[in-house]
Amino acid sequence: MRSVAVIGAAILLFVVFGPLLATHDPSTINIPKRLSPPGDEFFLGTDALGRDILSRILHGARWSLGLAFLISLIGLCVGTLIGLLAALGGKLADWVVMRTTDTFLSFPELVAAVVIAGLMGAGTWSLIFALSVTSWMRYARVARGIGLSLQSRGYVIQARLAGMSPLYIARWHYLPSLLPSLTVVWTGMFARAILGISSLGFLGFGVQPPMPEWGTMLLDARVHMRSTPLQMIWPGLAVVVSVLAINLAGDALRDALAKTERAK
Amino acid sequence: MMLTVVGFLVRAMVVLTGTALLTFALLWNAPGDPAQAIAIARFNAVPTQDVIDQVRAEAGLNASFWAAFLNWIGPLLLFDFGNSSVTGRPVGPDLWVAATYSFPLAITALAIGLAISLPLAILATRRPGGFMDRFAVAIASLGTAIPAFWLGLLLILLFAVQLAWLPAMGARTPTHAVLPALTLGLGIAASLTRIIRSGILEAWEQPFLAAFRHRGVSDRAIGRDHIGPHAAVPVVTVFGLELAFLLEGVVVVEVIFGRPGLGSFLTSAILARDFPHVQAVVLLTALVFVVVNLIIDVVYRVLDPRIGEPDA
Repeated sequence: MRSVAVIGAAILLFVVFGPLLATHDPSTINIPKRLSPPGDEFFLGTDALGRDILSRILHGARWSLGLAFLISLIGLCVGTLIGLLAALGGKLADWVVMRTTDTFLSFPELVAAVVIAGLMGAGTWSLIFALSVTSWMRYARVARGIGLSLQSRGYVIQARLAGMSPLYIARWHYLPSLLPSLTVVWTGMFARAILGISSLGFLGFGVQPPMPEWGTMLLDARVHMRSTPLQMIWPGLAVVVSVLAINLAGDALRDALAKTERAK
Repeated sequence: MMLTVVGFLVRAMVVLTGTALLTFALLWNAPGDPAQAIAIARFNAVPTQDVIDQVRAEAGLNASFWAAFLNWIGPLLLFDFGNSSVTGRPVGPDLWVAATYSFPLAITALAIGLAISLPLAILATRRPGGFMDRFAVAIASLGTAIPAFWLGLLLILLFAVQLAWLPAMGARTPTHAVLPALTLGLGIAASLTRIIRSGILEAWEQPFLAAFRHRGVSDRAIGRDHIGPHAAVPVVTVFGLELAFLLEGVVVVEVIFGRPGLGSFLTSAILARDFPHVQAVVLLTALVFVVVNLIIDVVYRVLDPRIGEPDA
């Protein structure tokens, strides 16, 4: 639990205060200094338009990490609601919801996101929509599974007999039991969202230039692979480090949960 | 058993129909005028309103939603994907050509992934917590965090630009497939290593293994007859996820390496608003996915007969 808090705080700090560390404006074009190597003035060098790469990566955290956070949160809320609907809404609702979930799961998420974002027209809003639409299914499955297993618990039956509304039961009896497992799913989906945003950005369907998103930066850097290969390393490294940190936090959280489960 | 297979088939049909409907609704409601986009793609110039209207009529974009949907789904049941709205050629043959680039690539990548992850996981579980184990876990964690497109770029940088050993762009010779297959294969290897490793470790904890060992069954026989099948169940289960990773990876990797496969087919179709092409790729992907998941469901019921039993 503590590791998740630490990672979360680190990412939050990075997103909020990272841009303050930037030495240059991320979109100031400086043609005479284009494609300069790492040095004193530009710590990680400059890109094809002479923009400082370090500053762009620091500002890019707001796009890459901030958007991923938003998208995984949307997925969490929508998926949990849908899963609870399936668990509480009776047999027919369960069947309809689960077949819908199967349909959405029967497709590689990134491919679906490419199709949706591409057809909606490239841009930040279509990116958010495309990745949110393809990210709620795992939460729904987990929420429904745990919800169904709670149905026969004494306190849930008691609450129902006492005439509590399904909404009340969902809020006060289901949600607290769901949260630990959903948090584990959420860490995984957060990491996936970062990868998704950068992949879509790289394919040209994501955050549009001149915004400094990491995947979009890689798309720009790719052209100059021969002359300035280092330019291609940094944004990718930023993606890998963030995803790795979140995955490790998720693993630690899962292990901690398994331990408390066993202790019960 | 027969009943479960029929149940799966019905479920697969529901899923496929749902996918078709969703795709169609998405294309139908996509912002922007598709007729204009098609006209631009077809004539490579800014078209006049007459031309746009003519294209709209030709592409069947005049009809109502359900009429257009039925028009499309009818021939589809006979595997007729219609004609491209940009080139006017039938979609089927072009799709097949693209698939002949993508599927061998995906299968090669899978083979590379297995060839790396299986020995690595077996070596790692010899001494859990030992150096090899930590090394394998570290590599696997790193591997799952690297986006496929960046790994591809790094491989191009190393083998095509710096060392100049392998070609990077295009698909003319078999050597052109080495780097793309390696990119995908390494990604697969990373996630498979994690799963095979934890599968083997879990199998080792089974209480009956101690009993076998006391009776003098050799480690080799235990590994082959008990650990192997036991560890295979989770591997087969996550195969569906690996397939999703492969299909996603194919799209990205083909764009990076300029291979004319399904990924390039899809992205160029999206940019040109070539609806029949987009629909064909989406449905083919869903079909592959559903069929493979069907096979997985059946296979792992054979591997582990307890699954699906009422009292399991």
